[in-house]
Amino acid sequence: MKTYNDLPNDGGSDIAGQVTRQANRLEERLRSVRYTVAIMSGKGGVGKSSITANVASALAMRGNSVGVLDADINGPSIAKMIGVRGAKVDYGSDGVKPAVSPLGVRVMSMDLFLKDDETPVLWEAQTQKDAFTWRGTMEISALREFLSDTEWGVLDYLLIDLPPGTDRLPNLVDLLPTLGGTVVITIPSEISQLVVKKSLTMATELLNTPVIGLVENMAAYVCADCGRTEDLFPSGNTEEMARQFEVPFLGQIPFDPRISMAADNGNVFVEKYTDTAASHSITEVAQQTESFFHTEYNSQYKQL
Amino acid sequence: MKFLCLECDTAMKFKESKTPEGGSLTAIFECPDCFGEIAMHMNPWETQMLKSLDVQLGGKSESAPPMQMVRSFLSDQKEGTLSSSHTPQPTSPVASDSEEGGRCPFTSVVADAFQAHESEPADLVWTEEAKERLDRIPSFVQSMAKAGIEEFAREKGIAEITGEVMDAARGNFGM
Repeated sequence: MKTYNDLPNDGGSDIAGQVTRQANRLEERLRSVRYTVAIMSGKGGVGKSSITANVASALAMRGNSVGVLDADINGPSIAKMIGVRGAKVDYGSDGVKPAVSPLGVRVMSMDLFLKDDETPVLWEAQTQKDAFTWRGTMEISALREFLSDTEWGVLDYLLIDLPPGTDRLPNLVDLLPTLGGTVVITIPSEISQLVVKKSLTMATELLNTPVIGLVENMAAYVCADCGRTEDLFPSGNTEEMARQFEVPFLGQIPFDPRISMAADNGNVFVEKYTDTAASHSITEVAQQTESFFHTEYNSQYKQL
Repeated sequence: MKFLCLECDTAMKFKESKTPEGGSLTAIFECPDCFGEIAMHMNPWETQMLKSLDVQLGGKSESAPPMQMVRSFLSDQKEGTLSSSHTPQPTSPVASDSEEGGRCPFTSVVADAFQAHESEPADLVWTEEAKERLDRIPSFVQSMAKAGIEEFAREKGIAEITGEVMDAARGNFGM
């Protein structure tokens, strides 16, 4: 009797071929993207999406062509923060056209597909019972489609806003082995940093993914009246953590309630409040991201 | 998964799929020698897992529209989001007679696919020296560097990538 390896194929489904074609399409699509950057934390509520929207806009204001992929399939927020909520996505000649922000940032998010504010992401199925067996795979497939079926065009930077969870980066790296780098966000609380350390270990030791640097968000509160700076949390030693993991420290972003207010109104903070401490810090993260790729890639290419 | 006709010791071929009831899926395979058939019934969870991988039994049409999986299976979509006239392609046998053995799709499929792509024959030939130089740079840059050098070579009508071609490409990148 013939064994598995004796049989030439799977009877005509060519499942492996289908998966290969999916990967090829993704690789082909991203050829026109110069640098891909994952914004991650591991912990929720540290301001990843807000920083993604603002760093993307800061990069665009510095003359780069920029795209943002909201990889938070179940809790998408980038579309609102960057001012494209309600935009209609439609077919282009070779995929789906992304929404475009007033600053020219191209955005793809599940939010653009959902019916209304109250609608959660639910997938058609005979029963939602025991959905844990397949929902995660569905989300990865959706992420792959967002990456490979969006007409990103020529981009200098594609920022990918990852949802909380230390498993998110490995899932992305499976899809995108050529990920250019990660920006890791934390806040100065020990609880946040406990989880962020796991993410850093995942990125640096297990996945060998380049880390552009560590950002401390909500570092302090600047009084709008007197300009005095007060700590929001006991010092979390983020800079020390960066040294421990031998990754660059990209700086501290002070808490500014206008970041949230601007996002709620669909405005981008760095554009609306350019001359503020938080805006300067966010722009500094954008500049350091540019520098990372210019120096890192130049030095790698020079080894050729 | 592969199916063998025990009587003929022949690999069976996919014939058709049916969705009879309750979210289950039936795939029918036929022996090309004796034309004997078998039906494989998948329960709703197995069927859903197959859907979530965005692969289709019997093969998938190359002309599938973009975002097919999201549009096909996302409940409660915004009205007017993408044209509803672009309906998903029905499952149809577009069987490949590839001699490559099938693999289980449920483990490391995407990573495997990238490896499979890497091993595909290319229209450009890399000399051993050029390959060694490429291997010396970190893996995350390799793909981009390779693509850039190959694009440069194609633009210049160069068929073989040597160290000199790499130097010229580097110059072209402004490095």
